[in-house]
Amino acid sequence: MKTMDLRYAKLTLSAVLKAVVLMIFVFPFLWMVSTSLQTLQETTTVPPTFVPAVPQWNNFVHAMQAGPFLTYARNSVVVTAAILVIQFVVMIPAAYAFAKYRFAGHRLLFGLVLLAFMIPGQVTFIPVYLMLADWGWIDTLLPQIVPFLANAFGIFLLRQYFMQIPEELVESARLDNASEFKIIWKLMTPMSRPALATIALFSFVSHWNEYFWPLIMTNSNSVRPLTLGIAMLRETEGITNWHIVMAGNVVLVIPILIAYAFCSKWIVKAFVYSGIK
Amino acid sequence: MASIVFEQVTKSFDRTAIIRDLDLTIEDGKFTVLVGPSGCGKTTLLRMIAGIGPQTSGRVLIDGKDVSRVAPGQRGVAMVFQNYAIYPTMSVRENIEFGLKNNKVPKEERKRLVESIGETVGLSGLLDRKPSALSGGQRQRVALARAMVKKPSVFLMDEPLSNLDAKLRVQMRVELIELHKKLGTTFVYVTHDQTEAMSMADTIVLMNEGVIQQMSSPAEMYHRPANRFAAEFIGLPPMNIAELGPDGVQLGFRPESAALSEEPLDHHLCIRGVIATREMLGSETIYQVRTDKQAYMVRSAEDRFEVDRPVYVGVPAEKLHFFGADGRRIDERSSDVRWYLEAARGLVYA
Repeated sequence: MKTMDLRYAKLTLSAVLKAVVLMIFVFPFLWMVSTSLQTLQETTTVPPTFVPAVPQWNNFVHAMQAGPFLTYARNSVVVTAAILVIQFVVMIPAAYAFAKYRFAGHRLLFGLVLLAFMIPGQVTFIPVYLMLADWGWIDTLLPQIVPFLANAFGIFLLRQYFMQIPEELVESARLDNASEFKIIWKLMTPMSRPALATIALFSFVSHWNEYFWPLIMTNSNSVRPLTLGIAMLRETEGITNWHIVMAGNVVLVIPILIAYAFCSKWIVKAFVYSGIK
Repeated sequence: MASIVFEQVTKSFDRTAIIRDLDLTIEDGKFTVLVGPSGCGKTTLLRMIAGIGPQTSGRVLIDGKDVSRVAPGQRGVAMVFQNYAIYPTMSVRENIEFGLKNNKVPKEERKRLVESIGETVGLSGLLDRKPSALSGGQRQRVALARAMVKKPSVFLMDEPLSNLDAKLRVQMRVELIELHKKLGTTFVYVTHDQTEAMSMADTIVLMNEGVIQQMSSPAEMYHRPANRFAAEFIGLPPMNIAELGPDGVQLGFRPESAALSEEPLDHHLCIRGVIATREMLGSETIYQVRTDKQAYMVRSAEDRFEVDRPVYVGVPAEKLHFFGADGRRIDERSSDVRWYLEAARGLVYA
């Protein structure tokens, strides 16, 4: 009996701990959704309101009508999609070369890739800004895309993944008269779906949520992304419109949730991956 | 069909030469087995033929043509890898078809070829399965089908049976021999298993440390090993070797050439010892007979000796082999052999 009791106690404890951790992560989301449905008054009352008296669906309409919302959304989509597509075009062959070729200087070059992903972005902000300003790119979409075309972390992660793929598969494909492009496209890429999904999701989230860089690179609404647009909802007539800001944020987060729902199966695979048999 | 010629081939890894100035001709249409202990360079040779691990210097010729600068896919060779190297994301059909697609074979013909090969190797009902849903033996067949469908002039196999269980291995051995007979193509087969080499080969190329020790038919290699290494590598248990005299000459006899008896035997060589171990294998028994100097293995059809029994090991003169101090075989026609035979008779009293 005692061992049974101990087992139940352990199970209960583990369930409680899981629930606590879950709440820590989920609470900000719930708070955001709740605030997005409140009136301005409800957002400022003490103690705070959690369930709005009447859900204010209009907040979403306000958020979208407060500025050129469609322009912001289009900019976000264009910037993020362009970055993702080009990152993959650059990253997959680079990772393949680092994983499967022994060319002169491959160690040095890979070291440079690692260096690129170790240097904090803040260090390079000013020189990159000055350079792009010199090129006359400020206030276009280009500076939001071009500096992010090579994903050093992605190259590193994908190289590790490619290295686990047995050499014989590549050799077998070569004996099957496959070109290197075909080996990458038909063999390496389908086998690396979990890693690719992980990299895609991380990259998507970080660029979709980019705030600081577009802030300094843009001067007009026509090239601003959603993040800036939503931040600008905050101030009207000296009062912070939290309910509107949160409504905007809910809209901003939805694509990320969809992407996660789509990728999560692969991401789990990427992290529990233990070799191909 | 094609012969393969190695001319003064050297292969180095990180400046260490694994194979140095090797010359070898693999005959057209023959089943040639490269055999040797791990690290002897047999797989390295195979990879040079395939072009996936090209030689550092020298020439490799397939059908008289120097292929040193020809890409692996253009050499007319197909290879079966030890771990099969089946593309895991493709179905069985796509696996077999991949090479044909790359060679721009029209769709209709591809379909016909894949289906007929599938039938030949017994995969007909499994063409649309993913490799993960296949057993080891079935994967092996996919690898074979993938190689066969290209109709290569040379088949290369790198220990293709080593991942199968013992029963299936014996079955596949027979199937490969039949396949070779049917196709009549040049087969080059790498293994470290001397039983596989003996049972399948027309010609065995025995290698050690990057050097060819002997190249001959299985029977020749068994009956007339060119050196001590060949004598001890081929045969299970290996040949017994004993010191014969001060000039470093050694004597050898196969465990199956020796007779056991409780009484002194009338054989040319007769050694007295005690049974140390006994392995009953069913049709035969393998004894280890220990003398005060060393132990000898004896393979006997009879199972009538117990451990710790004193026995005599007898070997007739014609079953004795002699090796010089350099390890090389001393030809039985050599004039010295009579002298060595006399010395062997002297071992009775040793």
